[in-house]
Amino acid sequence: MTQDNGSNLLKATNEDTSGPFFPIYFQDESLEDLTVLGPGIVGAPSGQHIILCGRVLDRHGNLANGVLMEFWQANAKGIYNSPDNLGHPDLDPWFNGYGRLRSASGEYKFCTIMPGASDNRAPNITITLFSDGISRIVTQVFFEGHKANETDPVLKSLGTDDQARLIARHGGHTDGGAEIYLLDIVMAGANETPFFDDFES
Amino acid sequence: MTQFGRQLGIGPTDNTSDQRTPRKPLRLIPSVARESFVPVVPARYVMRTHEWDMTRIAPGRPRGDGTPIEVKGTLRNENGTPIRDALIEIWNANHHGRYRHVEDASGLQLDENFFGMGRVVTDEDGNYCFWTISPGAYLARPDIGRWRPKHIHLSVSGGSARLITQMYFPDEPNNASDPMAILMGDGFENNIGKPYETSDLDVDEGYRFDIVVGGRNATFFE
Ligand SMILES: [Fe+2]
Repeated sequence: MTQDNGSNLLKATNEDTSGPFFPIYFQDESLEDLTVLGPGIVGAPSGQHIILCGRVLDRHGNLANGVLMEFWQANAKGIYNSPDNLGHPDLDPWFNGYGRLRSASGEYKFCTIMPGASDNRAPNITITLFSDGISRIVTQVFFEGHKANETDPVLKSLGTDDQARLIARHGGHTDGGAEIYLLDIVMAGANETPFFDDFES
Repeated sequence: MTQFGRQLGIGPTDNTSDQRTPRKPLRLIPSVARESFVPVVPARYVMRTHEWDMTRIAPGRPRGDGTPIEVKGTLRNENGTPIRDALIEIWNANHHGRYRHVEDASGLQLDENFFGMGRVVTDEDGNYCFWTISPGAYLARPDIGRWRPKHIHLSVSGGSARLITQMYFPDEPNNASDPMAILMGDGFENNIGKPYETSDLDVDEGYRFDIVVGGRNATFFE
């Protein structure tokens, strides 16, 4: 294996673009709606059902077709299903918190539950984005109307304009009682969404 | 105060990269929020038992056109720890450069004996292995005659490790002009499979592709 100069770390394989043809064949509907356990299964995660939806846009305001999106969030009590929380009493056995979808058009719709506030964070969902032309980029989305947004360390690290670009707007609710939240993600350009560096942070 | 990390590069001659690459530098994540930025992919995979052999669409079927190859390697994080039970999703174009994907409008020839998509899981020691047909290069920018060199896409998810990358082939004429290869600079070497002898195997060529998932995410819950 090649070694980094002067460190014991292995040299990382370069991230590369997913290209336009990430197989639709690999899709898993149970990762697109985390409120449903699977066909014919009785049971559900606790929490308020929400639908996070919107558009992924490019530098010219056009829909970014063929995007792969992944989601990561805490359960309704603010607990992440991570190895550190193994055996935590507030883990929800019916909620992993990981979602994934591929949007052909660039419009997306992710069905889940409202994450709880964890530690000193406002409720949020980590979004990982892959598409042709870029390698992996990440950000976090927040929800309009939460008092904790005012004190969240990620939001506080941003200017007011950038904060607004990460806060999903409330857009009513469905007949089934799910609250709708709307967020457009702008990959590049004037109204660009703030993205984060999880390599160097 | 916003603090900045990497500035992402735009792939030369890649229109999509120009349209989609964030222009502002990435923001650093405040340390108190760092842990919540680490997605953990639960180990739950659906696959068929023959998916490691992509040289044919099902056991007992004829092989696809072109050169059958083996690709194998070890998946590790930067500390050298093997990443076991990780899902590797693989896709590559057929011998003629065509994907069996509804959005591939190239018009290149489909191969009735090649599917081009498969999944494998790393073993206890982080090892993986699959067979496929050596992919064809394809013309990505007909207007300027720029080709995409032969490549295999790999998507790795296991625990908190997440990587989408491509394995390239040594000494390919189109490697040097590839926009993503140009962005990788000298590091491109790392994304090239290393040939090995396969005379004892039912494939014509072998490529070793060890994968190291970088960044703190992959070591967070080590
Ligand atoms: Fe490709």
